[in-house]
Amino acid sequence: MSCDDVRPRLSGYLDGDLDPERGSVVRGHLRTCEACRQIATDEAALRDRLRELAPVDPPASMWAGIQARLAKEEVAHSQRPAWRRALARWAPAAPRFAAGGLLAAAAVALLVWRAQGGPDAAKPVMPDQAPIAASSPTKVTGPTQVVVGADSSTDVTADLATEAARVTATYADAAEELLELAGEARGRWTTEQKDAFDAHVVDLRASITAAAEGRPRQRAWRELIRYLQGAVVRDDITLAGVSQ
Amino acid sequence: MSELVETVSTLPAPTLADPRPRVAAALADDAQLIAACRRGEARAMEMLYHQYKRRVFGMAHRIVGSSDAEEVAQEVFVRIFRALERFRGDSALSTWIYRLTVNASLSHLAKRGRRHEVGDDTLGELPAPPATERDPGLASRIEAALALLPAGYRAILVLHDVEGLSHEECAAILECRVGTSKSQQHKARARIREILGPQLHGHRDTKDGT
Ligand SMILES: [Zn+2]
Repeated sequence: MSCDDVRPRLSGYLDGDLDPERGSVVRGHLRTCEACRQIATDEAALRDRLRELAPVDPPASMWAGIQARLAKEEVAHSQRPAWRRALARWAPAAPRFAAGGLLAAAAVALLVWRAQGGPDAAKPVMPDQAPIAASSPTKVTGPTQVVVGADSSTDVTADLATEAARVTATYADAAEELLELAGEARGRWTTEQKDAFDAHVVDLRASITAAAEGRPRQRAWRELIRYLQGAVVRDDITLAGVSQ
Repeated sequence: MSELVETVSTLPAPTLADPRPRVAAALADDAQLIAACRRGEARAMEMLYHQYKRRVFGMAHRIVGSSDAEEVAQEVFVRIFRALERFRGDSALSTWIYRLTVNASLSHLAKRGRRHEVGDDTLGELPAPPATERDPGLASRIEAALALLPAGYRAILVLHDVEGLSHEECAAILECRVGTSKSQQHKARARIREILGPQLHGHRDTKDGT
């Protein structure tokens, strides 16, 4: 092994991450190479000092600050229309498909729908939710989860099937939630509206079943969700118009 | 020959693997705590806060700096409690919380733009090199050197080297591959060694001279 081969492995060696065979090769090189040994010594010192850095205590007032913010957010949340609360619940939960295609698509769908005249089309879509969308709890189980013990080059592709199933489950959750909302609004619809809605939902469900697994099926799910969003939002507008 | 003996005795050694907390037990404890928090139990929420406050605040502190750390940490905890009902428990709670913290810190930096970014000023404030290897001032110089790194490097060094997480955990938190986590950490260490220079080893030069 040359110095160039050894140096990128030094961090792994010092952290005990190399398998015994590679570790032994690195060790053998270090015994004979002064330059690499120097770097390894520095790196080991750095590793130890970093590990020894003292924990940083937050100010004692922090918990009170958090409670105050939570209270404020809860009040704001309760004042949002139901369809916004539902979207806030499912949108951040949408898992990101490998390279982020799904989340991007969902975001675009939301923007398009808002631009087409959602109740407060001028406002950005759930600006308060955007950061959460980038760090949703469910995404911890995304493609990166398989990395445990796996070779780094296989970690994304190996889990695509599982990921696709999860994406579908998320869409199903979202659709179900929106259907429930639409159900609540239903009492205010005309008979024609109800019939049209039911027929369309049946059609959209049929095309989900008919679509090939993977992207086409996801597209079909998005169609359904978009339609349900529209139904819920339109009702929201109607209500606003009536009450004013 | 005596040269070789000396070499063998001073060879930097790998760390012993940290005994990892029992994952299953931790997950079960987490599940109980989460359930109680979801029910809105104030004591559970406070417990969760105390369990994670140092990790969240410390992480934010080292990524965004002292002046904004509390704001970011507060935001993280608000998100934790608001999003807890969506937490499915299929990853460790700590992984998720670390991820929220890293993302909130990095997006805070992005929002803040470059106006507060540390630069040459901070370099000038670095204290003088230490007289001995183990002086307590070294810790503050390492903190200062950390602050000079690109934010992504700071994140991986704090997660892996300060907090002691595995590369698998870091990769899950940073949403990258394990290989990427390793290479980023390697580069980050190289950068910080460069910044610190001989300060890491107060005694080495003299030893080499003999
Ligand atoms: Zn070498």
